[in-house]
Amino acid sequence: MLAPPPFRLHTPASVGPANASSDNTRSRPAWSPYDDNGGTCVAVAGSDYCIVAASTRLSTGFSILTRDCSKLFKISEQVYIASAGFQGDVRALQKMLQTRNVMYEHIHRKPMSASALAQLLGNNLYYKRFFPYFTWNLCVGLDPEGKGSVYTYDPVGSFERVGFSCQGSGKDLIQPVLDNQLKAASPLVVPAKDWMSALPLEQAQDLVRDAFVSAGERDIYTGDSVEILTITKDGVNKEILDLKKD
Amino acid sequence: MSRYALAFVNINMLGPASSLCLLFKTWTALSARASMGTYISSQTVKKVIEINPYLLGTMAGGAADCQFWLRNLGMQCRLYELKNGHRITVKAASKLLANTLFGYKGMGLSMGTMIAGWDVGGPGLYYVDSDAQRTKGQIFSVGSGSLYAYGILDDGYNFDMEVEDAIELGQRSIYHATYRDAVSGGTVSVYHVTKDGWKKVRGADVGDLHYKYYPDADQHPTYGASPL
Amino acid sequence: MFAKGPSHSTALGPGCAGPPLANPQNFGQAGPGAHEHGSHQPSCGAAPFAVDASMLRSAGSQPHKHTQSPYVTGSSVLGITYAGGVMLASDTLASYGSTKRYKSVQRLVKVNETTVLGAGGEISDLQYILNMLDDLSTEDYCADDGQSLSSQELYSYLSRVMYNRRNKMDPLWNSLLIAGLESGKPFLGSVNMIGVAFSDDHLATGFGSHLARPLFRKKHRPDMSEEEATALIREALEVCYYRDKQSINKFQIAKVTTAGGVSISDAFALPTKWEYQAFVDPTRDAVGVW
Repeated sequence: MLAPPPFRLHTPASVGPANASSDNTRSRPAWSPYDDNGGTCVAVAGSDYCIVAASTRLSTGFSILTRDCSKLFKISEQVYIASAGFQGDVRALQKMLQTRNVMYEHIHRKPMSASALAQLLGNNLYYKRFFPYFTWNLCVGLDPEGKGSVYTYDPVGSFERVGFSCQGSGKDLIQPVLDNQLKAASPLVVPAKDWMSALPLEQAQDLVRDAFVSAGERDIYTGDSVEILTITKDGVNKEILDLKKD
Repeated sequence: MSRYALAFVNINMLGPASSLCLLFKTWTALSARASMGTYISSQTVKKVIEINPYLLGTMAGGAADCQFWLRNLGMQCRLYELKNGHRITVKAASKLLANTLFGYKGMGLSMGTMIAGWDVGGPGLYYVDSDAQRTKGQIFSVGSGSLYAYGILDDGYNFDMEVEDAIELGQRSIYHATYRDAVSGGTVSVYHVTKDGWKKVRGADVGDLHYKYYPDADQHPTYGASPL
Repeated sequence: MFAKGPSHSTALGPGCAGPPLANPQNFGQAGPGAHEHGSHQPSCGAAPFAVDASMLRSAGSQPHKHTQSPYVTGSSVLGITYAGGVMLASDTLASYGSTKRYKSVQRLVKVNETTVLGAGGEISDLQYILNMLDDLSTEDYCADDGQSLSSQELYSYLSRVMYNRRNKMDPLWNSLLIAGLESGKPFLGSVNMIGVAFSDDHLATGFGSHLARPLFRKKHRPDMSEEEATALIREALEVCYYRDKQSINKFQIAKVTTAGGVSISDAFALPTKWEYQAFVDPTRDAVGVW
């Protein structure tokens, strides 16, 4: 009943003179408004904590641009976003969300909650539906009950709250491991079952470390180091773990 | 790039089920899986979008398109209530969505959605898609697995069937779609809509359902001597 | 900073300060038919404006074209930080395709007392960027408060400019390095034509990212002396020169130091050696040759 015309990002082939039919056989430099700068983000929600981690390598093609480019962005004391994909779009998105949070604080005298930011991010990703931000995002924080909350997105803004998620170039390697180790009931199951990670904090942190070390072995876009933030009601702990540099 | 809600979504509606009063019942059933290409991006994506306590929208096609525009529809319906002092009909709500989508026709949106709900005229069910097609009906099944579901659904459907039977038929239809369609899977949700609004009545893992329907492998219809 | 409109008048072209013209053909028109007389008579009675809007309009009958490929281009820019400063280096060539068209183009530019900009890519776009930065500096000068944009701020600004232009599908075709001092500490940042921006201790654009950065990764330390840093960057320039056919042996090095502010060297040539076995007989040990 529904033909599925896939929504398509502009690819180098669809932009610029390379695609234009021309009798000029010499290739001219085409350009694409997008790049994939790689990187992996992981977030795990627990009953009283939330872990968010992201690799720091910034790449283009087979080149490493820098080994130390944070993919985590602080919106407020307890709310962070982690983004992989095209770094130009990532920065634009971060700047916009930060600005919106400042405006929100002026109006409401408090920072945005994770759920408010989650909806804001979803809307703003969708507003660029026809020239999307090429970014893979996680929005993390603590909910009003102090439970960890993780929201996971696609580039055009569909999102859902989950117990854990992984995005970016290492997703295919890490997500199945998280599914296996943290597998909890679907939030859609009736009667409802607990769907959040039941792991104690230290074990969850170890899992995240292992996930990045392993992804670093097989994904060329994940490496150099990983920033691991642990958000609890007492504050935020930041750990930087070195990964392989090759 | 976007999420394709390739699992089908399925809605059925049935008529007067009890002689006590002319109570119409609408129910919906669907599976919950979102995929990007061959990668299953989510097994838990919420494919029924609860527009308001009396209206449900279902998701097939682009997940972001469905999520955003059904949320937008929720806003339009609320504004309608504030302006007119009564709830919007399913007919009107589905038309609001169709009109919105008409404005974006040809721009690449991908949505196949069913709007189900209850209004002054009883239950309503409409199919609306990103071509701005809008159709009223009693049974719809949408998405990549929809044909498998139609097979079960058309076989078992009867306008006068009991609610419990209808719920079971919906669940079974979805289960069989997940069985044959690679990109359908996850959880089957069933909603029941009455004059008091919708209520989620089922939420079952398709893996569990398989062993419920076929406890023993040798009872499965495909079981038998090898044709080779 | 003062709030102000776009940095240039669309009628006058890039770099000329003036009011933005939403509707150029009406600009300065005294009344109907005013532009039949050629130049405009401003309604305020001032001297006629130099640019004839009706000319602009006829020029505007052509569709506006976006940059789809660069024409006159510069090659790599290299940059490293060291103890007490930061250093940029590039050659002075502006190529027209494979023609070495302009051999004395300065691609390292002082922006203010704490910042230098180095650029590769389309030279006309570089000049447009420099005009914009001039506008910013003029604003700082007019404010007369002793403040000027820091290198970090300029880096942020340029990253937004580049990203904005890519959003319009009309990019400024450059790779930029921004070097300077940020609160007395060396700062080195990079922005490219689609708005990817990052900073590091050592950076290189274009060919340099393949040839110079491996050298930097091996030999660079943030606590290098200026002499060590100069030696390293000269070595990197030499390596790039051997293999980048879009380069010439005429270089400049720009420095920003805590001690002496910004200085940009005169152009110089590096001693080169072409007798390396690999150059003389490149296929000597290759498989399948004799």
